[in-house]
Amino acid sequence: MLLIILISIAVVIFFAGNTIHIVKFLRMPTPLRWELYPIPKGPRDRQLYGGSYFEQSDWWTKPPDTGRSGELAFMAKEVFLLRSVWENFRGLWLWSWLLHWGLYLYSLMTLIAVGEVLVPSGPRILHSAVMYGYPLACLLGLLGSIGLLLARSAHPRLRGFSTRSSFFNALLLGAVFATGLLSFYGGTSLDSLIRDLLRSPASLGHYARVPQTHLALVAFFLNYFPFTHMTHAYMKYFTWHGVRWNDSPALHDPLAARTLALNLQREVTWSAPHIVAGGKATWSEVAADADGRGAGRA
Amino acid sequence: MLKVGDIANRAGQLTEVPVQNLVPLPPPYDRLEDLPARKQLKPEVLDRIDTSLDGFSALGLSRPQTPEDEQKFVKAFLSGLEKLLNTENNWTFLEQLQLSLDHCARCQTCVEACPIYTASGRDEVYRPTFRSEVFRRLVNEYAKPGGKALAWLKGEHVELNAATLGRLLESAYRCSLCRRCAQACPMGVDNALLAREVRKLFSMEMGIAPREIHDKGSMLQLRTGSSTGMNAHAVRDNIAFLDDEIRDQTGRTIETPWDKEGADVLLIHNAGEVLAWPENPMAFAIILEAAGISWTMSSELAGYDSVNYGLWYDDAQFARVAVRQAEAARKLKVKKIVLGECGHGHKASMVTADRLLSGGSNVPRESALVLLRDIVMSGRLKLDPSRNDFPVTLHDPCNMVRMMGIVEPQREILRAICPQFREMTPHGVDNYCCGGGSGLAIMSGQNFADWRFSVAGRTKLKQILDAFADCPGPEVKKYVCAPCSNCKGQFRDLFQYYGVWEKSGILYGGLAELIVNAMADIPRPFIQWEFH
Repeated sequence: MLLIILISIAVVIFFAGNTIHIVKFLRMPTPLRWELYPIPKGPRDRQLYGGSYFEQSDWWTKPPDTGRSGELAFMAKEVFLLRSVWENFRGLWLWSWLLHWGLYLYSLMTLIAVGEVLVPSGPRILHSAVMYGYPLACLLGLLGSIGLLLARSAHPRLRGFSTRSSFFNALLLGAVFATGLLSFYGGTSLDSLIRDLLRSPASLGHYARVPQTHLALVAFFLNYFPFTHMTHAYMKYFTWHGVRWNDSPALHDPLAARTLALNLQREVTWSAPHIVAGGKATWSEVAADADGRGAGRA
Repeated sequence: MLKVGDIANRAGQLTEVPVQNLVPLPPPYDRLEDLPARKQLKPEVLDRIDTSLDGFSALGLSRPQTPEDEQKFVKAFLSGLEKLLNTENNWTFLEQLQLSLDHCARCQTCVEACPIYTASGRDEVYRPTFRSEVFRRLVNEYAKPGGKALAWLKGEHVELNAATLGRLLESAYRCSLCRRCAQACPMGVDNALLAREVRKLFSMEMGIAPREIHDKGSMLQLRTGSSTGMNAHAVRDNIAFLDDEIRDQTGRTIETPWDKEGADVLLIHNAGEVLAWPENPMAFAIILEAAGISWTMSSELAGYDSVNYGLWYDDAQFARVAVRQAEAARKLKVKKIVLGECGHGHKASMVTADRLLSGGSNVPRESALVLLRDIVMSGRLKLDPSRNDFPVTLHDPCNMVRMMGIVEPQREILRAICPQFREMTPHGVDNYCCGGGSGLAIMSGQNFADWRFSVAGRTKLKQILDAFADCPGPEVKKYVCAPCSNCKGQFRDLFQYYGVWEKSGILYGGLAELIVNAMADIPRPFIQWEFH
């Protein structure tokens, strides 16, 4: 029963925590631009060398770069092949790739297992895929976690900059995958665990200690995830698409003028004398301060 | 091995940056004993200012003398930290800041991308994640509820004292904001942005910024119209003198147009060019006149200087200058602003100010490199590439290339007019910074120049020497095309420090000069081959 309560709370916290995290960023005011090239938009030949629309004369008279296919292709390489790590830190790549693929496969298998419960008449092949997909996910993830732990302990590039939480994260994931794998070898397939969890939660008490521990660890991970940097899994949309690749000029953005007007009316309370010399000032007044002696002077 | 928490050590210096650790350069620059001796600070100076990061001082920051002073210093920082994380005060960069604070996996994938870190022999103090991690831990521990307990639990405690803050701020000026590390980060975390936000906190809350950038930079620009201190009268006089020079040198009579209402192009140079590299504005005048462009310069406040140092350290100063530059263009009713060869001026005006200027103030802005490319490729100038038959390589200013994607126009020109053009490795959006980015090039501090030349500019120098490896001696004159004033300032100082002109015959200069040098109807070579 305790396990069921733990899992239920974990699922709620997982979804609520991640939603709050996303909403926090969605509600932030539109910042100034801070793009970084290469940006996978525009004509293909320009993308190859990292060029932008600024290379065209009278660029503001030309149609804006549109289309997401370049971004999607770039991100697919980033997500599935860990392109940046491959190019910049080969010694970490294998472990990181194994860990990430362990997580991807595990998540996919869980989705399929849940789907099987919801749509029992689904294709049979999915059932077989889940049966063998789970242990494969756990094997990859476990190898990745062990590799990461070793790398963080021994690699000169990582050793001094790995914190207790870095080790804890790798250990936690390693424990999740290890118990998943041990459950499989102990005769418990994780898909049956999911099935019973959803259909007859009371039967979980009949499972052996290892699968139960596995579920408890998964529950802990779901609770923990939204409060860690691991949210980069989806926050890449903001860091890449929203910041790094966001080179949309204001003139192509119908909301820009309204957003700017709102931002310029925000109140500035920075204390340095050259910002606000006395009283209160808005950003608009600060920007209009002619000589930099501080806005808001009487 | 250096630990992040060591930043708070009350005594001692975190690193020495010994010259023998620096990345080796090819002969004849491989003899460490030939390097100029580093400036030794007097004991009374060392007593007064904080050099505890690496023995160098960019800011001449005074140490707090009493515990009360220290407490005040820390309190002001915490107040600034709160504002930095607040929508009202930091709508400008809060999103990017928070994303970079929250999502670093500490994977260190980015570190080898930093030319300063690698040039130093991988000194941990210059590891791009070092200052970011210090700052992140300070935010987590001192600006978030339950931060102290979590810091203890996670083993991420950093003591907040004057030593921590002094070193953190100095360290923010050991980054040139080139953003190569951000390019390498799989999460999209931006260490350079974090360095900039640290600079901003100190400037906007505590009024602490390098004198060269603030007092003698953005403040001077707001008061006189230019960070050079030239007012409108002075700049017009100087340009008139350059018009005379053009006549003497080329036989052409050009009168630079001023405040011509309705012109197609408002050309805004980095005003530093007028004083330090006058051949650049001269070359522009020759090209625009020869191509029949309708152009003007503006004598409005800030309308004749494209620099905007606020980009590097202070949003208020940034906004003030950007608004004035746009106002100058609006008043003249020009069709577009064309930014001269100034990298940060490009980015400040064309990118960062974009969401700051509304309606009529948002006058279209274009890079001079694009206009020059169009002119060269249009055939409007009679060009003879054989006049540029010497080895030429191209430096990519980070602001124009990595941060704006202006990569090909300058190359199209060089391929057309420089038969011996060769690329550096790496180049384009992967280029290395000159080592003077984000204001470092104009900063000398107490002994900061030694660091700028021996560490920050070293990777670039190696890259330039490698590009000319087939003709290393001084008998073959070579040209580094650097279409950015800030980068040229760094090259001037860097080349002097290492004796590059004498040992290798390498000159640096702009792009427009190469075009004029190739103009067949100009009787004498425009490039003088004199180092200055």
